[in-house]
Amino acid sequence: MNPTVRTVMAYALPPAVALTAAFLFWEFWVDWRDIAIIVVPPPSAVIERFFEDPAFFWREGAWTLYEATLGLLLGSAFAIALAVVMSHSTLTERALFPLAIIIKVTPIVAVAPVLVIALGFGTTPKIVVAALISFFPMLVNAMTGFRDVNTGALELMRSLRASPWQMFWKLRLPSSLPYLFAALKVTYPLALIGAVVAEWFTGDRGLGLVIFVANYNLDTPTLFAAIGVLAFTGVAINVILSLIERRVLFWHETIRTVR
Amino acid sequence: MAIANHHVSLSGLTHAFQGGRRALTALADVALDVSWGQFLSVIGPSGCGKSTLLRIIAGLLRPTRGEVCIDGEAPARAQRRRDIGLVAQDPALLPWRTVLGNVRLPLEIDGRARRRPAPSPDELLELTGLSEFRDYHPHELSGGMQQRVALARSLAFDPALLLMDEPFGALDEITRSAMRYELLRVWSAGGAAPSGRKTVVFVTHSIAEAIALSDRVVVLSPRPGSVRAAIDIELPRPRTQEMERTAPFLDYADQLRSLLREAPV
Repeated sequence: MNPTVRTVMAYALPPAVALTAAFLFWEFWVDWRDIAIIVVPPPSAVIERFFEDPAFFWREGAWTLYEATLGLLLGSAFAIALAVVMSHSTLTERALFPLAIIIKVTPIVAVAPVLVIALGFGTTPKIVVAALISFFPMLVNAMTGFRDVNTGALELMRSLRASPWQMFWKLRLPSSLPYLFAALKVTYPLALIGAVVAEWFTGDRGLGLVIFVANYNLDTPTLFAAIGVLAFTGVAINVILSLIERRVLFWHETIRTVR
Repeated sequence: MAIANHHVSLSGLTHAFQGGRRALTALADVALDVSWGQFLSVIGPSGCGKSTLLRIIAGLLRPTRGEVCIDGEAPARAQRRRDIGLVAQDPALLPWRTVLGNVRLPLEIDGRARRRPAPSPDELLELTGLSEFRDYHPHELSGGMQQRVALARSLAFDPALLLMDEPFGALDEITRSAMRYELLRVWSAGGAAPSGRKTVVFVTHSIAEAIALSDRVVVLSPRPGSVRAAIDIELPRPRTQEMERTAPFLDYADQLRSLLREAPV
């Protein structure tokens, strides 16, 4: 067997077996206890519903993913820019960090209806919710990352009279990449949740709307299929991020020790 | 401007760190002259301010009192002219860059500073015996190899003054003694300094290292550090590992050991 295939098998097979076992147990339990489909659907019904119209689920999922991604990029860009400013000036940190904490502790689900009133029913409120939800973890990680720089390298750059700009691009930013990746792994799925929640309130499309409508109609197979697609998207995001991380951070201890 | 008598000249140098409520005096009234092309080692017990002294010469730290002249100018001027190379105990390589990328870093920071013809990064790798490793990353290299990269990097602008702060302190004994003679080989290869050879100020706590490398060894007293004695090492060059077992070498070692052992003045 070729080594790549063997590696994929080694990582993919155990969870696949565990998942299949869980589904079988679920199927059997629903059948044995004679649970009504409007309470809990058997996995077979969910899978059947999905394959009735997979394009529908993928299309709605892609839309939600699109909103989440735009929100993530927006939130991350603001967070990183703010982290740059705050890591250079204690005054701005003191002034702005409490405000960032307010964003963090405010339940986003409570803010979503307000945003709809303010921003209308289009794509904008979903992107803003996704951005707000991914903002804080990225901010904290970026700030830590920009500060966690090898002191010797910092001293070297100073002795070379590097400009603040060079200091950032050649030293602080690359040093912070492990932190930024760790943040992305947390914030990307969060942004997805943010987009779904925003769609509940004002969706005209997307998985959030699918879930909302299916829930209203007690159409549990559609509801579960949508949740399944959401979960699959989250896993796919994590796998892709991990693959990119391994390529970009080949020099970092966390990657080297995994090998 | 005429070339100053001494390459590095320190007088009345005192430095205190402001730590909490009371100040900690690291250096007290240090006076020191380093002539052009001289290899000078500074040796002293731990915490005597050796590294502080070097960082002041490098222009990374402003002394509380006293004067530092490099070629008759302030360290900041020499730093701006790219005339100071720095090697510390931590090689401080950028782990995401290859060996070549690390050696090129100073030129990327300021490519225009190469007013005099300096060796190219590839020539520096050749000089330090790293040519085969140019595309390796730091984590693929041993500690000794990493320190060679740091040395090559410090030579990027062909500085007349090389400051080394226990560069071999983190290496094992065998690599460490090999690196001494490797450093001497690189040093003897010369450069564009007016004297032909670079002036080196080398901080160490190894007596053997100081004798093997230096023209002159300066002994600092325990904190606050001040110059207790300066000994000229009159061993012929090129120095070899075999010399470390000869009578004159061992005499110097005894002399330095007793100077280091003396009770604080």
